[in-house]
Amino acid sequence: MKLVSTLLVAALLLAGGTLLLASPGQEPTGPVELIYWTHEDPNRTPLEEKLIAEFQSQNPNVTVVRETGPSGKMAEKLLTAFAAQKGPDIFNQGAEDEWQYIELGRVAPVDLKVVGFSSYRAMQNDYLPVTFNGALYDGKIHGLPMEITNWCIYINNKYYREVGLDPAKDYPKTWEQMVQVAEKLTIREGEVINRRGFDFRYPWYLQFFDPMANQLGGTVLSKDGKSGAVDSAAWVKLLQYMADWGPNGRNLGSPTYKNARSTFNNDDNSVAMCISGLYQYDRIKAQNPAFLPEVSVVPYPRFQGAVNDNGAAVYGHYYMVNASSSPAAQKAAWKLTWYFSSHVEEMLDQVGLIIPSKKLLESAVYKNKKFSDVFIADMAKSNFVFCHVKGAQIQAVLKEMVEGVMLTKVPPAEAARRGQEKINDILRQ
Amino acid sequence: MGIRRRQYWGWIFVLPAILFFALFSYFPIINSFVASFHAKDIISLKAPKFIGFQNYLYIFTSQDFLNSIKATLYFAIGCFIPLVTVSLVIATIVVSLRRFPKVQNVFKMIYYSPSIVSGVVSATIWLLIFDPRGLANQFLNFLAANPSPVDFKWLALPAMARLSTIIIYFWKYVGYFVIIYFAGLVSIPTSLYEVAEIDGASAWKKFWRITIPLLKPTIEFVLIVALIQCVRTFSIQYVFVQSGSPREPINVISLNIYTTAMQYHSLGRSTAMSVSLFCFILIFTIVQLRIYRSERVSYV
Repeated sequence: MKLVSTLLVAALLLAGGTLLLASPGQEPTGPVELIYWTHEDPNRTPLEEKLIAEFQSQNPNVTVVRETGPSGKMAEKLLTAFAAQKGPDIFNQGAEDEWQYIELGRVAPVDLKVVGFSSYRAMQNDYLPVTFNGALYDGKIHGLPMEITNWCIYINNKYYREVGLDPAKDYPKTWEQMVQVAEKLTIREGEVINRRGFDFRYPWYLQFFDPMANQLGGTVLSKDGKSGAVDSAAWVKLLQYMADWGPNGRNLGSPTYKNARSTFNNDDNSVAMCISGLYQYDRIKAQNPAFLPEVSVVPYPRFQGAVNDNGAAVYGHYYMVNASSSPAAQKAAWKLTWYFSSHVEEMLDQVGLIIPSKKLLESAVYKNKKFSDVFIADMAKSNFVFCHVKGAQIQAVLKEMVEGVMLTKVPPAEAARRGQEKINDILRQ
Repeated sequence: MGIRRRQYWGWIFVLPAILFFALFSYFPIINSFVASFHAKDIISLKAPKFIGFQNYLYIFTSQDFLNSIKATLYFAIGCFIPLVTVSLVIATIVVSLRRFPKVQNVFKMIYYSPSIVSGVVSATIWLLIFDPRGLANQFLNFLAANPSPVDFKWLALPAMARLSTIIIYFWKYVGYFVIIYFAGLVSIPTSLYEVAEIDGASAWKKFWRITIPLLKPTIEFVLIVALIQCVRTFSIQYVFVQSGSPREPINVISLNIYTTAMQYHSLGRSTAMSVSLFCFILIFTIVQLRIYRSERVSYV
C-alpha cells in the first residue's frame, strides 16, 4: 500500500513538472512531436519531406509526423478530430473550409517572434495584398501561405485540332461559347458520353460556381451579410445554365462522372478541357510528361454581358497551428511552417504552388514558369473565395442546388428558393 | 460452493463485458440523448446551450427530415420484402440439395461472400457497373436490343439512384439471410416431412403446413434483423452522394444524421435525429415481436 502511495505521489509530481515545463513564454527544452496533416500532392511530398529532414537535423528535439489523405477526406478527418479535441498540431485546408477554424478560435495566430516580423502589418507588406485574405481575422494573421491559387481552363490541343478547332484562337472566351466548343469536342455513342468536351470541378462550388454568379451580379449573401441572396435572377440564370449542361439538358457532363481534372492528365480521350490551378501543370509533368506539349491554358470564361469581369475565385491554403497544442508544440510548429513557407522558389518550381511574396515575384523562377502569366493576369481581376464561419455549410447548399437542377429536374427558381431558405436557416443557427 | 458465491463469480466474469458496453454503447446513447436537447456547433469551443425540445420540433417540421423518412421507407420496403422472401426461396433450394453436400457448400459460399465485403467496397464496385459506360447500361441495352445505346442514368435520376442502392444492398445481404434460413430449415426434423408424404401431402402443402410454422422463430429473427439493417443503411448512400449522386432521393435518416453533424455542424439536431431513429426501430421491433410471439407453433 505504501509503495502504491509513493508511486502515485511521484507520478503526480512528474505530471506537475511536465506542466510547468510547458508553461507559456518558456523556450521548449524537452522533445516535441509535431503531427502534421495535409492533403495528398505527389509533387509537394518529396519537397516537404526533404525540408522536414533538414528541420529535424537543425532542431534535434523536434520530431515531425507527416500524414496525408485525399483533400475531400481530409476536411472530414479534421472536423472529426477537432470535434473530439484531438486535432493535429499543423494542418492546412482551403480558405473557405479553414475560416471556421479561425473564427471559432481553433487556430493560433502566427507567432511574430518566430517569423521575425515586428507586426502583422509588416508581414503583409512582404507579400501581394491578396495573400492573407483567408487568414487575417481580428487584426491577426492565423496562417502562413502554402499556396495562393486561382483556376483557369486547361486544354488538350490534340482534341481541338481533331475537330478542326485552333486551340490558340477558338478557345471559349464566354460560358455561352463554352457550350458550343464543348459540344463539338464531345463524343457520344447514343446517349452515353465517351469523351466530355469540358466539365466543371464538382463539388468545389465556392471556387468555380460562386464566381460565375458574381459575373452575373449575384452574391451568396446580402450586402449586410445577414441573409442569403441566392434567389436572385443572377443565380436562377446560372442554375438554368447548369440544368442545360447536365444529363437532362444538352448532356455535356454531370457530377456523377469521374472528376474531369484527374482524368485530363491521362490524355485518354475521356475529357478535352478541365478547370485547375497552376499546380496541374507540374502534376502532368510528373504523371504524364509526354502529354505536356499538347497542353495549353486559357483564362476562366465570362458570361456574355457580365456585370463583373472576375475569373474563378482566388483561394489560399495556409499552414495553420492548432490553438489547443501545447505552447512548446505551437512554437516548434510555427518554426517548421515558416521554414516551409519561406522556400517560395522551390514551391513554385517543383510543386507549381504560388506563395506570392515580393521575393518570388521578382525571381527568375517565377518569370520563367510556364502559364504563370495567364494565372496571375486572371487572379488580378478575381475575387477572393467566399470566407465565412458557415462557408463549408453554404458550399453544401450550393451543391444541393446544382445537383437539384442538373440531376433531379428541380426547376432553377425552385432550387434557388430552397437554397435561400437553407442558407437563412444556417445563418440563424 | 454456495449459490451466492457462484453468483459472485458470474458477476465477475460478465463485468468486463458490462464495462465495455457501458463505455462504448450505453454512454454514447445517453450522451446522444442529452445532446439532443442542446444547440452545439461541432467544432466550436463554446459550451452547448440547453434548448429543450427545439431540435425535435425543428426536425419534425423540416422538409429535409420528412424527406429522409420517406427515403428510408422507400429503401426499407424496397429492400426488406425482397430480402426476406427471396432469401427464403434460395435457402429452400439450397436445402433441397442435401444429397449433393459439395454443391450445397459451393452455393452457400457464393451467396454468403458478398456479405463479408464492406459496404463502401461494395458500393465502389457497383459504381463502376452503374457508370454510363458500365455493365448495367450495356446489359439493359443488349436486352432491349437498342440500336443506339441509352443511358439509364443509374446514379443520376432519383428513381434510378434509389433502385441502384436497393440492388447493391440486396446483393450484399441476401446471402447472409440465406445462411440464417438454411440453419433454421435443417433443424426441422425430416421425420415430419416423411409422415406428411405418407399422408399424401403435396410439396406446397408441406412447405406451408410444416416448414413455415416451424421456421417461425427464424423468420422472426430475420424480419427484425433485416428491418433494423435496412433502416440503418448508410455506407452505400454515402458513397453514392460522394460520387455526385443527388442526395435528396437517397437521403436516408442515417445519411441525414451524418450530413447534419458533419456538413451542417449541428450536433444537437443530428443527435435528435439519432434518438428518433432509435425510437422508430424500437417501436417496429416491439410490434414485430408481439405479432410473432403470439403465433408460435410446436409439433414436438
